[in-house]
Amino acid sequence: MDNNQLEILLESYNHRLEEARVLNLQSWVLNYKCYEELQTQKAKSKLKGLILVKLVVMLLGVLWVLFVGFLVYHSLDIVKIFFVISASAIMIFTSWAVFVYGHHLVLLRKINNTDSVIKNQELIARLQFSTINITRILLLQMPFYCTFWWSIQMIENAPAAFWFISFPVAVIFSLGSLWLYKNITFKNVNKKWFKILFNNPEWHLLTKANDMLNEIDEFKNES
Amino acid sequence: MDQKEIVKRISEHQKIIYKICNSYCYNKSDREDLGQEIVYQLIKSCSLYNPQFQFTTWMYRVALNVAISFYRSSKKEDVVELVGSHEDAEDSNHDGDLAEDNFRALHQFINELKALDKAITILYLESKSYKEIAEVIGISETNVATRINRIKKILTQKFSNHNLK
Repeated sequence: MDNNQLEILLESYNHRLEEARVLNLQSWVLNYKCYEELQTQKAKSKLKGLILVKLVVMLLGVLWVLFVGFLVYHSLDIVKIFFVISASAIMIFTSWAVFVYGHHLVLLRKINNTDSVIKNQELIARLQFSTINITRILLLQMPFYCTFWWSIQMIENAPAAFWFISFPVAVIFSLGSLWLYKNITFKNVNKKWFKILFNNPEWHLLTKANDMLNEIDEFKNES
Repeated sequence: MDQKEIVKRISEHQKIIYKICNSYCYNKSDREDLGQEIVYQLIKSCSLYNPQFQFTTWMYRVALNVAISFYRSSKKEDVVELVGSHEDAEDSNHDGDLAEDNFRALHQFINELKALDKAITILYLESKSYKEIAEVIGISETNVATRINRIKKILTQKFSNHNLK
């Protein structure tokens, strides 16, 4: 097939795409009143649902930080040093995650379908992909859930149990969370462990977001 | 632009919506959903219409953004059904001189393009100028020209690989 034949085929194809009125569009476009109905239906749109979920998670995060902060404030004693350090670290990581959620809400408000396709799709894809940043941040606090109950007294009374069980478990969790923090990134999205960690539907969305960002980068590099 | 005015103009250019829905959706119910979402977003965004753009250019911007987001959120990877081939046969008005095989192949090959290339192809089908395509997609005119040439090469190559004339 040469270029001219392709042009002729494209022209006919365009006509066919336009003429195939498979939609019941005319009825709801021409009927202005339908817009009111649409508005009610779309009030429950995915985007609004997403904003609501993020707001609820943010609220729960803030409540958790306040609760842990309250416990830390009432435990400021050298005897509870492990608890104070661990709970403070958990508080910091949760606050960080809440901040990222807040940033997502700001980005969600910036989504505007009247922007150019590249600008808008890049924003959506980055937003979609950055949801895994929350997971990365929250994983960093994992080791501190193994240490908050430690005490100097416990180490003195049962050194063997501490050094052979509690301590190695905390070390494993620390190394594991650091490894995951470093490796949960774009470049590993197609690795098997990544697919297992993020269940199927989410992985599917992430790969599509990743593909879109790669495609956008390709466009940008060309210009 | 007020809502009544935008509804009037959407109905004047409704072919754009048909074309985008037919290009990005897997089946009839998805096309219905996408069409409805596009109309909703167009009416919702009417206050943001910038008269410096042609209405159809602005309409393409909104519709393509909605369609690409819709396509990305879809979990299906099926081949987009060729419109006018099954349940829609009675509504189709295709050129009888061209073989059905070529239509089907072209539809499949366009469907295999990446989302942004597909968007450029749809605008090219509409005979939009490079300037307008650049405005909708958000790239330079040179970039549009390069992309269109590449898309044509890909399509021609695929036809050759499948021994279609």
